[in-house]
Amino acid sequence: MLRKNIPYRFVLTVILVASFYLQPFAQGWDVPADKKAKNSYIKFDKATAKEGETVYTKNCQSCHGDIGKNNSLKSLKPIPPDLSSTKSQQLTDGELFYILNTGRMIMPSFNNVLSETDRWKVISYIRSFNNSYIQVLSKTDPTKSNLVKINLSYDSINSIVRVQVTASEKAGVVALKNSEIILFANRYFGKLQIDKTLRTDNDGIALFRFTKNLPGDKSGNVELIVKVNDDKYGEILSQSKLKIGVPTDKPSLTEKRAIWNVLLKAPIWLIITYTSGVLIFGVFLLFLLYGLFRIKKSGNN
Amino acid sequence: MSDENEKLKKNSRRKFLQDLGIIGVGSILGGSAILAGINYDNKKTKSQRIRVLTAENELLEIEKSDTTKVVKTKYENLTYLQKQGREGIVGRRWVMVVDLSKCRNARKCMAACQHAHHLRPEQHHINVLKMQESKETAPYYMAKTCQHCDNPPCVAVCPVDATFKRGDGIVLIDNERCIGCRFCIAACPYSARVFNWAEPLHAIEDEGLTYNVELNVPQRKGTISKCLFSADQLRVGKMPYCVSACPNGVYYFGDENEDAVTNGTTKETVRFKKLLEDNAGYVLMPELGTQPRVYYLPPKNKEFPFQDKDRPEAEEHLSHGNA
Repeated sequence: MLRKNIPYRFVLTVILVASFYLQPFAQGWDVPADKKAKNSYIKFDKATAKEGETVYTKNCQSCHGDIGKNNSLKSLKPIPPDLSSTKSQQLTDGELFYILNTGRMIMPSFNNVLSETDRWKVISYIRSFNNSYIQVLSKTDPTKSNLVKINLSYDSINSIVRVQVTASEKAGVVALKNSEIILFANRYFGKLQIDKTLRTDNDGIALFRFTKNLPGDKSGNVELIVKVNDDKYGEILSQSKLKIGVPTDKPSLTEKRAIWNVLLKAPIWLIITYTSGVLIFGVFLLFLLYGLFRIKKSGNN
Repeated sequence: MSDENEKLKKNSRRKFLQDLGIIGVGSILGGSAILAGINYDNKKTKSQRIRVLTAENELLEIEKSDTTKVVKTKYENLTYLQKQGREGIVGRRWVMVVDLSKCRNARKCMAACQHAHHLRPEQHHINVLKMQESKETAPYYMAKTCQHCDNPPCVAVCPVDATFKRGDGIVLIDNERCIGCRFCIAACPYSARVFNWAEPLHAIEDEGLTYNVELNVPQRKGTISKCLFSADQLRVGKMPYCVSACPNGVYYFGDENEDAVTNGTTKETVRFKKLLEDNAGYVLMPELGTQPRVYYLPPKNKEFPFQDKDRPEAEEHLSHGNA
C-alpha cells in the first residue's frame, strides 16, 4: 500500500539524483541519457526473477559468479563485479540493460544472443538481490509488437534480401521508419548475422547484401530471422525460410572406406575373395588328409 | 483231491500276489499324489514371495502381488544408448576452433569437463598446456583435446571395435566393449586418451547407472576414457561442457556443413571458413594425415600476458640445443 502511494515523480527524482551521484561508476560505460532512463516493460517479480536465473546461469555465471557470493572470476581484468554489490545495484535498469546490450572489453554483447524479454528477466534476477529496489515500469505496450508484419523477398540477380516492416494500425498500414533491423541465418548453435545492422528507410524497407555461398539444407533452404528494434513497437522477431542457400547434403564421415572399417562396410568382392580363399585352403587340406588315408590303406593291403 | 488242493494253493498264491499288486500300486499312487500336493503347496507359497534389493542395499522378501514392474525409459536402455551413440547426429560434421590468442589459463574448461565426465583430477579429456617452440619465440597456453581425426589411428588399431568414428565426425569409446589393451593410447599422436587405472572417482555413486556411451559415465576401471566433444550435449542443441564454461572466448564450436561456428563465451556466430582464413587457422601435426576436426588460431596479439610462474614448464619443451 505504501509503495503505491509514493508519487511517481518522487521515484523518478530519487533515480535521477542517484544516477547523478553514481556517474563515476557508469562513466566507463558512457551510457547515453535516453538509454539510461529506459525501463522494463516486464514486471520484476519472483516468476521473472526465476526465469532470469536460468538465463543468468547459462550466460553470465562463468564470469560474474553466483550473485551475492562474491565468487566472480578474479583472474579477469577488469574483475567482473558481483552484481549484488551496491555499485552494480545503484545503476539504473536502463544502464544495466545498455551494458548487457553493448558489452565492453571482455564483457560480450548480448544484444543478438538474448531476446529483449530475456535480457529484462536477467535484470529482474539481479534486482531480486536488492530489497530496497522499487521498479518503475515502462509505459511501452509489449503487445504492440503483434501489429508488426515483416515481409521478406530475395532478389537473386543482385543477391539482395529485401525486408519490409509495416504495422497494421487501426488507421491503416504504416511503415516502421528508421528502426534498427538485423538479419540472421539460423545455425545449430546460434544466429549468424548477415551483412550489417541497418535502419529501415521511409517505406520501412531495408536491403541486406547476401553472400551466395552460405550453405542451406538439402534443397538450399535457409531459415532467416529478422530482428527489428523500434522505439514505439519494441523488439520484433520473425522467422521465415527462403531458398537462397547452397544445397548441402554432405555424406556421413564413415561412408568412405578406411582401414578402420568394420565387416559391415567391407566391399562384397573382398568378402567373397577372402571367404573363398579360406574355403579352398580347407578343401585342399581335406584332400591331403584323404591322400594320406589312401596311402595307409594301400600299405595295409 | 490232491489236484484240487494244488489248484486251491495256486489260486490263493495268485490271489495273494494280485492283492499285493493292487495295494502296492495304490499306495504308490496315493503317496505320490500326497507328495505332489505338498510340493505344490510349498511352491505356491514360495513363488508368491520374492526377494528385492532396496535402495539402501537391504535384501527383503515381499509378496509378489505387492510389486509393480519398473518400466525403463529408452534412455535407461543400454542397447538403445549404444545404438544411438554409434549412429551420431545425421547431417552434421562437428568442428571446434581454439583461439590461442584468447587463452589465459583460467582452466575452467578442464574443471567443467572433469565434473561432467566424473574424472579424477589427474585425468584430462582436455588439458591446457604451456608451450614454447623455441628460445626466441613467445610462450603461450594451448588447450588440447582429442582432435576427432577423420582418419583416426586409434580406431584403426582397436582390436574389438570399442573405439569408433561416427558419421558426424566424433570419435567415441564404448567401455562396454573395451578390453583395456591400450593400443589406442599408443597409437594416438596427440596423447588424447586416459586410462582408468584405478577405481573411478564416483564408482560407488554411479553404481547401477545405465552406461551412456555419449557421456562415458559411469567410468569403468580398466577401460579407456577420452574427449567426446560432449556428444550428449550436442544432441540437445547445447555446446560442449568445456566450450560453454570458458570465460575468455577461446572456443568456437559448430557444424562444418553449415559453415558456422559459435563462440562459447560470447555466443557470437561467425563463418567457419572465414574465421580460419582471416586468422591463419591450422591443425596439429598435419603431416601425419590424421585430418583433425579441431582447428587452432595462432596466439597472435595475445590479449593476456603469459604468466611468469608458468615459464619453466613452457621451457621444458625446448630441446637442449635451443636452451
